[in-house]
Amino acid sequence: MDVAHIRNFSIIAHIDHGKTTLSDRLLHRTGTISDREMQEQLLDSMDLERERGITIKAHPVTMHYRAKHGETYELNLIDTPGHVDFSYEVSRSLSACEGALLVVDAAQGVEAQTVANVHLAMRQNLTIIPVINKIDLPHANVDLVKTQLEDILAIPADTAILASAKEGIGIDEILEAIVHRIPPPKPTGAPSLQALCFDSYFDTYKGVVTHVRVFNGEVRPGMLVKLLHTGKTYEVKEVGSFNPKPYVRDRLEVGETGYLTANIKSPKEVKMGDTFTDAKHPSPALPGFQEVHPMVFSGLYPINTADYEHLKANLAKLQLNDPAFVYTPESSVALGFGFRCGFLGLLHLEIVQERLRRHYGMDIIATYPSVVYRVKLTDGTIKEVDNPAYLPEPTSIDHIEEPIVKAYIICPNEYIGDMMALISEKRGVLDHTETLDTRRVMLTATLPLNEILIDFHDRIKSLTHGYGSMDYEHAGYQVSDMVKLEMLVNGEPVDAFSCIVHRDKAEARGRALAAKLKEVIPRQQFAVAIQAAIGGKIIARETVSAFRKDVTAKCYGGDITRKRKLLEKQKEGKKRMKSIGSVDIPQEAFIEVLKA
Amino acid sequence: MAVRPCESPGPAPATRPDGSVTWEPQVRHLYVHVPFCAHKCEYCAFYSEVPRGDLMERYVKALGRELERVAADLRPRTIFFGGGTPSLLPLRLWERLLRQMDRLHLLGAAEFTIECNPATVSADKARLFRDFGVNRVSLGVQSLDEALLERLGRIHSRRQVFESWETLRAAGFEHLNLDLMFAIPGQTLAVWRATLREALALGSEHLSTYEVIYEEDTPLFAQLRAGRFEVDEDLACAMYDELLEAAAAAGYRQYEVANFARHDGPSETPLPTHACRHNVNYWRGGSFYGLGPSATSYVRGVRTRNAANTLRYCAALETGRRAVEFREALPPLARAGEAAAFGVRMVRGWPFADFTRLTGFDLRREWAEDLAWLVARGLGEISPEAFRLTRRGLRFADLAAERLLRPAPPD
Ligand SMILES: Nc1nc2c(ncn2[C@@H]2O[C@H](COP(=O)(O)OP(=O)(O)O)[C@@H](O)[C@H]2O)c(=O)[nH]1
Ligand code: SF4
Repeated sequence: MDVAHIRNFSIIAHIDHGKTTLSDRLLHRTGTISDREMQEQLLDSMDLERERGITIKAHPVTMHYRAKHGETYELNLIDTPGHVDFSYEVSRSLSACEGALLVVDAAQGVEAQTVANVHLAMRQNLTIIPVINKIDLPHANVDLVKTQLEDILAIPADTAILASAKEGIGIDEILEAIVHRIPPPKPTGAPSLQALCFDSYFDTYKGVVTHVRVFNGEVRPGMLVKLLHTGKTYEVKEVGSFNPKPYVRDRLEVGETGYLTANIKSPKEVKMGDTFTDAKHPSPALPGFQEVHPMVFSGLYPINTADYEHLKANLAKLQLNDPAFVYTPESSVALGFGFRCGFLGLLHLEIVQERLRRHYGMDIIATYPSVVYRVKLTDGTIKEVDNPAYLPEPTSIDHIEEPIVKAYIICPNEYIGDMMALISEKRGVLDHTETLDTRRVMLTATLPLNEILIDFHDRIKSLTHGYGSMDYEHAGYQVSDMVKLEMLVNGEPVDAFSCIVHRDKAEARGRALAAKLKEVIPRQQFAVAIQAAIGGKIIARETVSAFRKDVTAKCYGGDITRKRKLLEKQKEGKKRMKSIGSVDIPQEAFIEVLKA
Repeated sequence: MAVRPCESPGPAPATRPDGSVTWEPQVRHLYVHVPFCAHKCEYCAFYSEVPRGDLMERYVKALGRELERVAADLRPRTIFFGGGTPSLLPLRLWERLLRQMDRLHLLGAAEFTIECNPATVSADKARLFRDFGVNRVSLGVQSLDEALLERLGRIHSRRQVFESWETLRAAGFEHLNLDLMFAIPGQTLAVWRATLREALALGSEHLSTYEVIYEEDTPLFAQLRAGRFEVDEDLACAMYDELLEAAAAAGYRQYEVANFARHDGPSETPLPTHACRHNVNYWRGGSFYGLGPSATSYVRGVRTRNAANTLRYCAALETGRRAVEFREALPPLARAGEAAAFGVRMVRGWPFADFTRLTGFDLRREWAEDLAWLVARGLGEISPEAFRLTRRGLRFADLAAERLLRPAPPD
């Protein structure tokens, strides 16, 4: 297909505003899928994400559309992860496009995720086609949404297409707009192939299947290609597109989107945003490449220690299709052997855990998540720390920087006070407030990432009775007064509960943890001291009093077998106990605390 | 007839260094379970039922057959009739039973105990018992507080305790045991003190005092689960302290976690003169036959248990079979672990030589780590001759037992 007849676009939307329905509608109208297939939601292939309304990954789909003026176009719909945890992946997917459909629910209006996604799209200089969806709803308020588009997003309201993905209204206008408003791909002028790799998945037979967008030149099977950031060379085995099932093509030309396989064995070799070029006549790399770095770390441990190998195998499987997820073995006194895992964000962490639990049926426990701190040492070097265990001694630390985010919170007016209180509780700074309409406001705030890891989103939802929404983007680092909080049991630190917290929050957290530990640590024959400490200074303490005797019951001949079995069972249970500061603590106790 | 105090409960099995065991040529201890109670107590998990129809007759007949089957292998030095409520059997049946034992040459034990409920002791029965050589009665008093007796579902009153006491003494019993319970829900320290004072004043030769256990499948357990009361560990502890003090002051010697006995004669004997040899045999890993429904036998390293159902028990014996429904033979180390675990319940602990003779294992070597663990916590002490739990350690006898057990690997 010649470049003038190719369009690459994606759809961005807040959850539930109709991205999936609209995608299906477009596939149907262009004859890409049949009526029957239309019944099923096609693009989302993973149940879990579908349930949560988040698509992490869907194949780019190629459609053929015969426009009103009679010419046929190849339209490539490139899916983006719905969540900014994956902002780099989103940006890579967006950079494979020249335009984006911005879907806004006519009844709900602009939401936080809409804002975050539009900002990303604008940064990629994409042509944005606003689509006001669900106009069939009785309480649709098109005018209000138009005002929001202009006021909040600076998008001219008269460019908006009114649609109902459900009723099939406005679909033709959308397709026409894709053809007429989105510019065709422009060759870069480089001397040879440049294909952006914006996604990949693993296939047992073919190896890594990369999703590519050809920016320059063309790619055919048999060609020797090179990945510019890793410097590795491969022979292309197969190229093709999705309709939405994969189909083989003899080549991918400039401007086109599809897949490429080259017998690549490890997903780690393919970095998102890397460029394939002709190995014999290399061109420069496409702009925008970054190494993705996990932003959030947490230890994952099998609840049943015997499951360690099983967990390891499953993590490896997960990583095949999610190279952004990283893990290394670690061990903990309290929890035994497990893995330190890195995630792009909180949602990513949740998704990985959910998959392990539901998909692979694993019983796992996660330690308190940590962000990556930048620790400037007194000798001038900078150390990145994602595990409290590796935080250097306070005396050798000059200062600590923590990652911060820019958060967008949209909520009904009456909750502004609650939101402001929440932001300040979370050590955030309110940057500004904007009125969205007569009912709602948008708060923009800068917050430490660490503070929104745990319950920020849930708190917003509950404080606003479900009407508030929140999204965020990473916004660099700031110097903060962070300290390492340690929990000690009879003077010995319990590694699983150490964490890096802001000094102002250390005491409250220490108290809460100590109280919780007191609940779960079984009484021993001696008193057990539970302490929370910062750099050796005790800031909270609890005592588990000693128990003074067993039940001094009788025990005669008939009872012996029964009693022995009972005691044997207890003994067996204690084998699984961890001894910390000579205190025997069942692993379940630690798990209980981590779950709380 | 007086109890001949015997030092050790009987010729114990001996394990030679090569691991072979010389078992007792004949079993010297007999337990008989009488599975009937007039009413089920709230805390009780023993197997017993309310007798109906001719079940008692049938039971006595079946028991007779069971006795016949083991008589040749049995020359009892101690006999213990427990239950249930042995004293519930009518005089006529008792007479039949004892006569049969006589015919089988099973009488003449140095220590012959029958458990009695204060509500079911009569002068006739007491006399009959004496006539057949019963020389010890264990009286299930549990409490002397009327409200608590009610609470526990006991069928007897406070008054009946004193009456039956008189009856037994009048019949010539010189060896009486009182069973007392503490940490009963609703029992205050003052009530316990009063019960102790009154019970000690009676001057029994032996005292079994134990804390309430919440056994699954008992009404008391269900009430605890339902949150009807709470277990006050500190109070239970205070009661145990009180018990130790009062028993010592009244001249009793504690010889096991829950057992106290009077001592007369030379002071430096390993056991008080009135210690219950029958029970000592249990803690020392000795052999015994246990007959009757639900009773356990431990004969030459093999433990068996009879059906815990009187009808099944009777039916089996009526068709010429024993009613054994469970059998277990532990490997040597597990057997030794069990002996170690339960033997340390005794105040004198385990003399190393005795332990080695019984099990073939050296307690100091095989259990070195555990002994050290207990000693380090102030729960145990080691002398050149023996390992024993300290006063504090006796309160953690279960913990010690748990450490000392050597569970057999699952098959
Ligand atoms: N009434 C109405 N409902 C719609 C329309 N488009 C989508 N929906 C419904 O909105 C919900 C969310 O749609 P979906 O496409 O899954 O949203 P996504 O999370 O953005 O992919 C579903 O229940 C759809 O049936 C529309 O135009 N009108
Ligand atoms: S009398 Fe003894 S055996 Fe019978 S129910 Fe009461 S406690 Fe149990």
